[in-house]
Amino acid sequence: MLRGKTILLLRPTIRVGAQSTGGMFEANGTWTEEARRNIAVALANVQERLDNRVVAAPEAYGDANRLAEEYGSLFAAVSASVVNYQFFKGNRLPTKKRDNKADVFDWSVGPGVADLPGARDADFALFIYDYDAYGSTGRKLLQVVAMLGPRIAISSGVHTGYAGLVDLKTGDLLWLNADTHMGGDVRTPDGAEKRVRELLQGFPGSKPDPDTAPAR
Amino acid sequence: MMRRLPTRRLFAALAVAAIAISPGHAGNALRGRGEAVPIAGSNLTITPGRDWNSLGVSPGKMVEVWTLDGEDLNAVTFYAGIEAEMPLVREISKKRLPLPKFRRQTLLADIPELLEGTYRARRMIATFHVTGATPESFLGHDGIRFTFDYVEEDELPRRGEARATIIDGRLYMATFAGPRLYYYDRSLPDFHALVEAARLR
Repeated sequence: MLRGKTILLLRPTIRVGAQSTGGMFEANGTWTEEARRNIAVALANVQERLDNRVVAAPEAYGDANRLAEEYGSLFAAVSASVVNYQFFKGNRLPTKKRDNKADVFDWSVGPGVADLPGARDADFALFIYDYDAYGSTGRKLLQVVAMLGPRIAISSGVHTGYAGLVDLKTGDLLWLNADTHMGGDVRTPDGAEKRVRELLQGFPGSKPDPDTAPAR
Repeated sequence: MMRRLPTRRLFAALAVAAIAISPGHAGNALRGRGEAVPIAGSNLTITPGRDWNSLGVSPGKMVEVWTLDGEDLNAVTFYAGIEAEMPLVREISKKRLPLPKFRRQTLLADIPELLEGTYRARRMIATFHVTGATPESFLGHDGIRFTFDYVEEDELPRRGEARATIIDGRLYMATFAGPRLYYYDRSLPDFHALVEAARLR
């Protein structure tokens, strides 16, 4: 399907921080940098299993860098809509129900994606988005109190990841792997490896993961 | 080229959680092309020129949100006759997160500031700029048209346009917002068509 095509691996959008007692996200620069390093290594390791030519997006500066970051955020917003309104059957948008019945997947980040640095030399772009909000001590205590006392469901920690393949000519989203309960602590090398494996599970044309492939 | 999704990984827990946090969730409804529909049970009616979706969850009693692809990508919000001394949307906490109110003495020129204050408090955003405002009729009455930019927690820059008027002491307003990349420009003409199709019964 993608044989002979070139995939542009965009710089992942990574946001790591703590979830305050009130549930607000508090960014943590040190954790984000650790996650960025670990995920970059994990992506480099996994590339050999992708049965395509994968090239890393060139370093971008100034306006080009801002555009790349904005597209990363747009990809996340589109992915969230796919999760909320296409994957979650009970919440589907009526205008898209016909799409679902016909197995049409009609989501896009728009043709402007062709202006991204490196896009001219590739056919598809691989977007990666990672959002980790680790429950603070206060949040975890609140969760325990809620479990013991009033019947209120309090979650502690949010770990969301999206990986998506986008057509660089049209901006159409061709494949998406989305998970709102991801495993692996991206602040550690092993955790990031696990996270990236999960994100790219089922990637079109990928070779079986030797660590997770069933024994014959 | 493949146009379908080979992998779907949504956990049942997400569905359970979403239902749990939205008691009374009535589901999303089709607003079909050519069919006149009242907004939030009010005297404001819209006859859309294309199919839209009305979200089952509303941020306020007199408010209805329509979208094509999800509220994060394109959201038309109708405020259908907000009474004096009321906020535009439901207050989560009157003490901790009070919202600005539409007042009896509120003028058309004050409405961009009312919307800005509401966005800042309700969505907890730091960046919001009104980028233009001009007198323009809405629902056949003197009104205001204004545009704005803002950035929410997801760090995605969005643009918006609003049309508003005050009739018999009530505020009627329609806003459109979406990411400035692709989505805003793509659906702005659809918003303008809705504004033209808005009527008071």
